Amino acid sequence: MPITISHEEFLKFREFFYRKTGIQFEDSKRYFVDKRLIERIEATDSDNFRNYFITLRFEATGQELQTLTNLMTVNETYFFREEYQFKCLVSSMLPEITSRRKKQRPIRIWSVPSSSGEEAYSIAMYLLEYWPGINLWDVEIISSDIDTKIITQARRGLYSDRSIQHLPKNLLDKYFRYNGEDYQICDDLRQAVEFTKVNLMKTSDVRGYREFDIIFCRNLLIYFDDLSRRQAADTFYDALNPGGFLCLGHSESMSRISSLYQVRKFSDAVVYQKATEAQ
Amino acid sequence: MAFIRKQPTNGIEQSKRKMERDCASLELQLSDPSHSARRWAARDLADCLDSSAALVERLWREQNSSVREIILTTLTKLGDEKAVAGLVSCLRSEDAALRNEAIEAMKMLPDEVAPIMSQLLKDSNSDVRIFAVNILESLRHEKVEEWLNEVIEHDAHVNVCATAVDLLGEVGTSYSWEALENLKARFPDEPYISFAADLALKRIRVS
Repeated sequence: MPITISHEEFLKFREFFYRKTGIQFEDSKRYFVDKRLIERIEATDSDNFRNYFITLRFEATGQELQTLTNLMTVNETYFFREEYQFKCLVSSMLPEITSRRKKQRPIRIWSVPSSSGEEAYSIAMYLLEYWPGINLWDVEIISSDIDTKIITQARRGLYSDRSIQHLPKNLLDKYFRYNGEDYQICDDLRQAVEFTKVNLMKTSDVRGYREFDIIFCRNLLIYFDDLSRRQAADTFYDALNPGGFLCLGHSESMSRISSLYQVRKFSDAVVYQKATEAQ
Repeated sequence: MAFIRKQPTNGIEQSKRKMERDCASLELQLSDPSHSARRWAARDLADCLDSSAALVERLWREQNSSVREIILTTLTKLGDEKAVAGLVSCLRSEDAALRNEAIEAMKMLPDEVAPIMSQLLKDSNSDVRIFAVNILESLRHEKVEEWLNEVIEHDAHVNVCATAVDLLGEVGTSYSWEALENLKARFPDEPYISFAADLALKRIRVS
């Protein structure tokens, strides 16, 4: 008999998954959720939703929950996506941060979610190509995701045609090697980014993420409900240095989520800033 | 200079976690002189199920907006009876910012606020009733229209009804038709009520 998910089971799972990850599935995502649940019920020989849900809830290692989370998260991005923010990074945000900084300590940038690494590597490339300050300042780029599988992929740095389609040819030639099937990003860039696993909704995961100058969190909050957005905004606030910047996706706005950030309108992009006098 | 790689939390975890993190200590730290310590205490109290009363108590005194915000986030996350009662108490505050923050927080708690909504909409203070209607503005609950109908059918205060009818202009369906007509009859000398009710009726007709 084929495995099916009843409406009650869907609601039960949705509530559980939301509490664990902050990701809320609308009713319209029912097919997407059911398909992945059934895939995992079969893969774990659980026979039915009930048995699988027990594994999911009570498994001590949390391995199955992680596997399912990997399947449920959307990982779609490409190099130089929303490039105007990278222009803003090198032309406005970094000059402001470096002019304010008294001590020579590294610039810290957090890119979350990392997905398969395109954003973090784009930032590294942009700094090397378009920011003269890279010769004067050390930079740490940390990129995090809830999906461990995609982090492994990001570290590997192998990309399809689709991922690299918006890259200028000279940068493609300079930083990638085509292996006949995929584009392999060069080792220098792979060494430039630290990839980590983080669940933004878990205080214990994010507690140590502090003293960042710039955070990129683009096209993630649209998947969150109001409370999870608010928690993410709080997390970023504590993670930023005073005067640090937060960059959201073009369709996202912090104004309805939190009143703690100031809107900064630069010529290339609108970003959000933690007050310079904030603690 | 160059790119450098370190574990993102290197050195930070140890250096910053100097205070005790058990629930009793966290509640005490809500009064710490440092904003940052208070923020982190409020944040970590999300794991302490009995902390709502302490958080509400601090919320009333807290002057720093960033600490207030995280207290409200934690209260929303806890969402228990004491948290909801604390948020309701903020609706009676003279501090407009605190009232608005409480309204925003309560909008995120549809299931927890629903059982007390009828009671709030009948509060003896008309301002509290207006704030309750404000909560309904984006409360994701199936009874929103029903509650608004109760207001426009029974509330004697014109400003409360005006707030409710404005919202019905956005969320009203044919279910509200009769109540809107009755509202106009209840306040024949209030041109704004007639205008807003007619607008709501027009929108219902074309939808």
